Amino acid sequence: MQNITKYYDNFRALNNLNLKVEKGEILGLLGPNGAGKTTAMRILTCFLPATSGTASVAGYDVFEDSLEVRRRLGYLPETPPLYHEMTVRSYLNFIGEIRELPSRMREERIGYVAERIGLTESLGRVIGTLSKGYRQRVGLAQSLLHNPEVLILDEPTVGLDPNQIIEIRGLIKDLARDHTIILSTHILPEVSMTCGRVVIISEGEIVAVDSVANLEKSAQAAPAWKIVLKPAINQSWRETIDNFSGARISEVKEHSDSYEFRLELPRNDDFDELFGSLSQKGAVFREISPVRATLEDVFLRLTSVEERKEAA
Amino acid sequence: MKIFAIMKKELQSFFFSPIAYIVFASFLSIVGYLFWVILMTSKIATLEPMLYNAAFILMLASPVLTMRLVSEEKKSKTIELLLTSPISPFEIIAGKFLACFVLYLVLMILTLQYPLILAHYSQDFDLGPIYSGYLGLVLLGAAYISLGLFASTLTENQIIAAMVSFGGLVLFWIFGWARHAFENDFGELLGNLSLFDRYAEFLRGIVDSGNVIFFVVFTTVWLFLAMRVLESDRWR
Repeated sequence: MQNITKYYDNFRALNNLNLKVEKGEILGLLGPNGAGKTTAMRILTCFLPATSGTASVAGYDVFEDSLEVRRRLGYLPETPPLYHEMTVRSYLNFIGEIRELPSRMREERIGYVAERIGLTESLGRVIGTLSKGYRQRVGLAQSLLHNPEVLILDEPTVGLDPNQIIEIRGLIKDLARDHTIILSTHILPEVSMTCGRVVIISEGEIVAVDSVANLEKSAQAAPAWKIVLKPAINQSWRETIDNFSGARISEVKEHSDSYEFRLELPRNDDFDELFGSLSQKGAVFREISPVRATLEDVFLRLTSVEERKEAA
Repeated sequence: MKIFAIMKKELQSFFFSPIAYIVFASFLSIVGYLFWVILMTSKIATLEPMLYNAAFILMLASPVLTMRLVSEEKKSKTIELLLTSPISPFEIIAGKFLACFVLYLVLMILTLQYPLILAHYSQDFDLGPIYSGYLGLVLLGAAYISLGLFASTLTENQIIAAMVSFGGLVLFWIFGWARHAFENDFGELLGNLSLFDRYAEFLRGIVDSGNVIFFVVFTTVWLFLAMRVLESDRWR
């Protein structure tokens, strides 16, 4: 549905971004603060123009057909855009009006959305008196009200309590059936749980685009184990490992009667060999467990800028 | 209609905050007081001094009403909602202008008590200058609001917005002094821009189409500029 090439100058918040989101997909935008997630979303929602490049939503160009794009969008900005002096009901009514929701459908949609988001009892309350979590819900309700084709959510679960977060994630998954959703977050489990595909942005550039599973797989450059070892007679275990070609030790922790460390080997088969020679030296293993990379590792690896520069 | 949605929302927040009530109360008490003092001392059944005072006090008060119109949206980031909705800057500006203008008209209606008092107690009361005076006051109000609305689009700080519109209004008010100071074409040109000089003609009972057009153009220009500033915000 979309084919987005964006390039944003000034202090180059986004650099030559290419992104395509399919209909019915949930795409997670992931990145550290200041990576350009919000900028990307603002370009898509026609709030900011791109310096160069084009972006389109549902087949309409965000620049040429901005009005058509905005008709098809639901957007929850970082700060929920609320009028604190209005009641939730009159606010949603106002949203319905400016989002061109026909007046006969307004009541029904407000009721439906409020129920899905858990706002039914708060409809009569003045927004200014609501807690942060409830304000976030009103912001979310606002973005869903007109049943938009494309939903853009900037950190949708910020400020919600754990139960609510689970409910909202469920809601987002439900919505994905007939909506296209782009959400940004820096909460990693959120992405693993809701998104089909993840885009990791760092310093305005895409550093990875893939499904969560694939990313986790690719993060594991080499097989790794967590090992707890009772020190043998001497320090020879360390030498054995150091002399083994391709072995790498990190995160060494010394306990009173044991050593804990992370071992990386070039191949899985290498482990048997190393294990054998370590046992021969009299080392006693307390714990051996394979380490699987999580999205967190991928994220850290891809977004720590210094490392990338070194590698380059 | 999206213009009316914006207008309704603005009116709602005007009456939710105490600002509208405070402006109303202080305006009505000052004008009422002056009306009483002038009537008691002069014993002439004319509304000219009251309309003159009203225009002056409104010049001081209107920035307070207009300052929040766009600034507040910028400050609270709700502008992001408006600009990502299928609504045009024209509709936003027009809706906000109309809301403030309606408020102004309500205030005008509340001052109708003074001509009614005069009409009740005086013989052969001349209604002509009242009609023209009120027409002038309404046009002047539109001009005040448009400049204030423009100032409000410039900044997210309401105090700055108020000060810019106040400064602008005072300038356009005193431009007329140039006529006497320079006594040349330049002074004449500046004098023609004076809101006060043109308003004063309405008070004398003259409805000059040139003056009406001046106020309409003045209002349109500032509203147009406000719209452009709102649009250009995307580019910064």
